[in-house]
Amino acid sequence: MTDLLRITDLKVSFRTEVGTVHAVNGVSYTLSDGEVLGVVGESGSGKSVHALAIMRLISPPSGTIDGGEIRLRELDLLSLDEASMRRIRGREVAMIFQDPISSLNPVLTVGFQLLETLQLHLGLSRAAATQRASELLNLVGISEAVRRLSSYPHQLSGGMRQRVMIAMAIACEPKLIIADEPTTALDVTIQAQIIELIKRLQREMGLTVIWISHDLGVIAGLARNVNVMYAGHVVERGPVRSIYKSARHPYTLGLLGSVPNLGDFSGRLKSIPGRPPDMSNLHAGCPFLPRCAHATSQCVTAMPPIDIVDGDSHAVRCWNWRTVAGIKSL
Amino acid sequence: MSIEPEPLIEVCELRKYFPISCGLFARKIDQIKAVDGVSFRIFRGETLGLVGESGSGKTTVGRTLLRLIEPTSGQVLFEGEDFRTVKGPKLRSMRRRMQMIFQDPYASLNPRMRVEELIGEPLRVQGELRRDAIGRRVSELLDIVGLPGELRTRYAHEFSGGQRQRIGIARALALSPSLVVCDEAIASLDVSIQAQIVNLLEDLQDRLGLAYLFIAHDLGMVRHISDRIAVMYLGKIMELSDRNEIYRQPLHPYTKALISAVPVPDPDVEAVRGRIVLEGEIPSPAEPPSGCVFRTRCKYASSICSSKVPEFREIKPAHFAACHLIEKIEAGSGD
Repeated sequence: MTDLLRITDLKVSFRTEVGTVHAVNGVSYTLSDGEVLGVVGESGSGKSVHALAIMRLISPPSGTIDGGEIRLRELDLLSLDEASMRRIRGREVAMIFQDPISSLNPVLTVGFQLLETLQLHLGLSRAAATQRASELLNLVGISEAVRRLSSYPHQLSGGMRQRVMIAMAIACEPKLIIADEPTTALDVTIQAQIIELIKRLQREMGLTVIWISHDLGVIAGLARNVNVMYAGHVVERGPVRSIYKSARHPYTLGLLGSVPNLGDFSGRLKSIPGRPPDMSNLHAGCPFLPRCAHATSQCVTAMPPIDIVDGDSHAVRCWNWRTVAGIKSL
Repeated sequence: MSIEPEPLIEVCELRKYFPISCGLFARKIDQIKAVDGVSFRIFRGETLGLVGESGSGKTTVGRTLLRLIEPTSGQVLFEGEDFRTVKGPKLRSMRRRMQMIFQDPYASLNPRMRVEELIGEPLRVQGELRRDAIGRRVSELLDIVGLPGELRTRYAHEFSGGQRQRIGIARALALSPSLVVCDEAIASLDVSIQAQIVNLLEDLQDRLGLAYLFIAHDLGMVRHISDRIAVMYLGKIMELSDRNEIYRQPLHPYTKALISAVPVPDPDVEAVRGRIVLEGEIPSPAEPPSGCVFRTRCKYASSICSSKVPEFREIKPAHFAACHLIEKIEAGSGD
């Protein structure tokens, strides 16, 4: 399978009143065609910011992409000018955001916003675009599609709005869809509907998806591979089963221990002590150090390199992953 | 036969209708039945989980329980006394026994108050302790919730979400309540911090014998922390039972769908489990369906469901549900 996306050593920072916030600190990974990648991490881990960087939606002067490379096939996204990038957004890479009410324009109808995308990117005539728009609404499970085209966003429920967002994202049949916490604002029964919808579209259209979530349950059912992010680094990466069943990084293990387990409901949650680091004041060494039970002197001095755990592309950034795993199996 | 212990709080047929008004004179045109005939009991030291989707009325239940909102009708008996009719000093002393932890630790703490003022405020309002005694109690409370004492002169904005929630918990515990309503108390926190706060709540329950009404939409966490769970839909309790029973053998079609919709953090389980995806969305509480409120999304719905409100009845020992068709569904599934 060919690589669709290759990110190498991506760095993003923001200048704020309290100093420079280093949001993404050297993220590298590749994404193959048709892959569904889950990105998990807590707030401030850099998972959304790295996605915005792929879309080139980090706006200077406050935010800058400080280094690295993002390649979509042969195309070097970071070197494109704004006009060329505008042709990529929506056409090649599309994004679905967490909060559909703030991503849809409240004073324009759903139809207008959908048609705009279709006419702009695909050069369709108004009639053809209208036809396609109602097909798209049907595809994402909105009934009475023609009538819905003239609805305003506030007339739709949260689940419906997210369906509209998905319709807009797939409108130009992009190669890559980035979904940033698309179901976090929704109730579980509606979340289940949206997950089933995106799974179906992924299968039918062969979409490549980056699904960002803090919910380990959602990722478990969706992703083929998982990136675990902490303090702007991918600290562990691997096939979904390796991550959930034989995690090596103390943070991943802590995260999995923080969610109630299916079988055992009597015990205490394992929880991770402390709290996420101050991203404007990161020290040399591993950022997870202050919360880690396995830290050694090595962890103070340098960020651990990417180590391959075994042949199946499971990689981890921890000096002590061998002993961490050993302790776990005791 | 064992004698049933007296409940700490008993709620009977609680109703809260909010008026929808319109026009210059705020003419009442309709009403929203946010809570429509809810009954349950909570025993000392017990946690009752209350789950449901947004708009199911779970927050309104919590607030009417504490009389932060006056109920439209129904009875709330706290230690055998009707909380709805008490007045004056009696009400005040009852209020201190019931406290609340709010969802948003950013909005619920006054940004102009120091931590010690925030935690000491309920003590000052109740006016039983002298100043130095309040100071000592604040130190004690900070210690209980795991915040270092030297932070007492800081302001809320200097704290992270998890620490703020600890301040909220200390405030709720200041008056040594016996019941704490936790309204989505962990919803706005990161996963690893949620676990810290849930562990803290459980420790405090063991230490202080607290009872919790734990309102949340995260079913995994609710199952972890609760002894019994009540499932709400459109202002009514659909099912109530022991936490394990309700997960292993849910009886109500809504509970079944709700539980199956919750993603499980295990790829092997996710790969094989069947998901009941409910059609459509929760109807407006201004126009709830006739009969059973869930019937519009229920695949088993038959004619009786639209004509008759199902009774909330004990189907198995200590397992209650409101559905006409449970026996039929259970017999039909056969396994």
